[in-house]
Amino acid sequence: MINDLGTVFAAELQRRITSRPFLIGLLIGVLGIMFITRMPALLDKAFTGSNAIVLVGDAKLLDRVKPLLAKDYKIKGELPMQTIDEHTLNAHHASSAFVFTEQGTKLALTVFSHDPGSVDNKDINRMLTPLLLQDALHKSTADVAALTAMPIAIKPVASKFANANEAFAARAVAYTLIFFLYMLILLNSQIVMSSVAEEKTTRIAELLVASVNPSALLAGKILAGATLALLQMVIWIVAAVLTGSPGAGSGAAPSGDNIFSLAGLFNVITPAVLIGFLVFFAIGMLQVSTVFAAFASLINRTEDLGSVSGPLVIPVIAALFIAMGALGSPDAPFAVITSFVPFLAPFVMFARIAVSNVPLWQIAGSLAVNLAALYVIAIIAGRIYRVGMLLYGRTPKLSQIWSVLRTSS
Amino acid sequence: MLEVDHVRKEFGTVRAVSDVSFSINDGVTFGLLGPNGAGKTTTMRMILGILTPDGGTIRWNGSPITSESRRHFGYLPEERGIYGKMKVRDQIIYFGKLHGMREPAIGKRADWWIERLGLKQYAARPCSELSKGNQQKVQVACAAVHQPQLLVLDEPFSGLDPVNAEVLISVLHELKAAGTTLVLSSHQMWQLEELCSEFAIIASGANRVGGTLAQLRAAWPTRVVRVAPADDALHAPFAAISGARPLARMDGTIEYEVPAGTDFASLLKSLVAVAPVTRFESIEPSLHEIYLHAIGETTA
Repeated sequence: MINDLGTVFAAELQRRITSRPFLIGLLIGVLGIMFITRMPALLDKAFTGSNAIVLVGDAKLLDRVKPLLAKDYKIKGELPMQTIDEHTLNAHHASSAFVFTEQGTKLALTVFSHDPGSVDNKDINRMLTPLLLQDALHKSTADVAALTAMPIAIKPVASKFANANEAFAARAVAYTLIFFLYMLILLNSQIVMSSVAEEKTTRIAELLVASVNPSALLAGKILAGATLALLQMVIWIVAAVLTGSPGAGSGAAPSGDNIFSLAGLFNVITPAVLIGFLVFFAIGMLQVSTVFAAFASLINRTEDLGSVSGPLVIPVIAALFIAMGALGSPDAPFAVITSFVPFLAPFVMFARIAVSNVPLWQIAGSLAVNLAALYVIAIIAGRIYRVGMLLYGRTPKLSQIWSVLRTSS
Repeated sequence: MLEVDHVRKEFGTVRAVSDVSFSINDGVTFGLLGPNGAGKTTTMRMILGILTPDGGTIRWNGSPITSESRRHFGYLPEERGIYGKMKVRDQIIYFGKLHGMREPAIGKRADWWIERLGLKQYAARPCSELSKGNQQKVQVACAAVHQPQLLVLDEPFSGLDPVNAEVLISVLHELKAAGTTLVLSSHQMWQLEELCSEFAIIASGANRVGGTLAQLRAAWPTRVVRVAPADDALHAPFAAISGARPLARMDGTIEYEVPAGTDFASLLKSLVAVAPVTRFESIEPSLHEIYLHAIGETTA
């Protein structure tokens, strides 16, 4: 059995690793990840004009205003008081012109903008509040800063993160890894499905099950699929790290701040997160691909693959969305319950582990439930597969499948 | 020795095999005959352990079929399958490995089969690039590369041109000479008659007749007697035999079907007594006739 499994595994791995779908999926994944990791910098460059402004008014007044606005706006120029029109904005590649005047003792602002909807009055007011207080109280800048500076201390309670930055980084990494989980499990389960369907439709299945135990055949295929998925994941993560590391392109954030850099990843991927990811990836991959393989054994034409895989994808998509929600509320009752449910747990429990301190009994319970479920799924799928691979003609009805399961037990 | 003892297999309400029994000694080439839907393929699948019988037993060398015994079996199914993108040599090696063979022995065996079946020029090409006949040769090599003790071939000649059919027949003779037990099903009766020494004819999932060709012929109730010339006087001695009936008259001959127990020496004497006889022939039933008779009994 072990020898057969090894032979099937090696042959399947060799066939799939050189197959077009795997190579295309790998390449598209790498390109996609490179795009995603570079996206903030690219977007920043692409939409740089939306917060580009010119300041207009008395030079002394602008000297006071400029430091307060520079945090959120790209200041393209400072102009003396003048009439503002389209030409003024275009000449400075700005979307708006902030015209400051003093009405009595009060500061007044008029904004000329290509996109008035992008101007947030309250936000601008908040930014300029220190200046308004300074004028109203006749205090110096330092005094106002001292007056308005409120000491804020954040004390984590039952949190796995020491500060907000760490928590944000962990969520971002978990979000990415959950998306990897989704892509890898779905992509490779469909490759396993295609492989089973190919053997069924080319009629090689009968020769195979005469030579090797069907369980070994199925297990070899699924393990090869899981190994390929793992390989794909490593390549994707390396791509993400390389493109996120400093020097990978202009505009990259410093390594400590960029979660896709090596330093950023080591900050948030703790051993517990890594082990959780690998364990739940393995369970999820095995659960989903086993079901996909079993149903693939029932089809007679490769054209039917789409109609069979459609309904099977739904639980995986549902798991993805629930896991995304669990990142925000890892201890919500719905997240806790679904982190035990087969097919959902690999995504949801991993999301919870990544962003919170999940009680050990819940992790152990989820593993026990899902391993037991995997065992049951493997037995049922094995029976469907054993019979389905020799079943030609019309695609069987559910009642016939049930009958097969009962008689083959 | 393979023993199939009262095996039964049902699929839901359909009884594919109701009661089939036969035994095959080592090194024998056995023909399993029957019309479409008789249960031949299901019986073969049960022998190979692909299907589990609902009743009865199948034993190989006195023990139930196990995964270990299956390693020594080979199978060429009726529905041929092949990995189109896999190269010819790789495909043969893969199936050898599935039967427990390892390098370097498997490589040498694969090369031997490639050479033997005239596939050398295609060895490094994907199977999908081969003609249908050559693909079938690859399948034969896959089924036999591990030198099986038992080789089951379901309709091995279907789709083969006469030249490739001859190649397959010679290969099967070689396997038989090497001690491989062969189980064949085919509708090409003349090929089975040439290859097989024992037969079982099944219909509607049950045995009809079985044994060596000599035993089947011995059990045949009639014989055909052909005499020449076609002299009308020669009909009289036949008319005196109870149960004799004339068959279609060929050019220059007279044919009669007579009971198998007929005393042919006495018949010849009677014929010579009424007219000069230049030819007297007692024709044994062919496998084809025995088969049709057995099936006819079932369908009657």
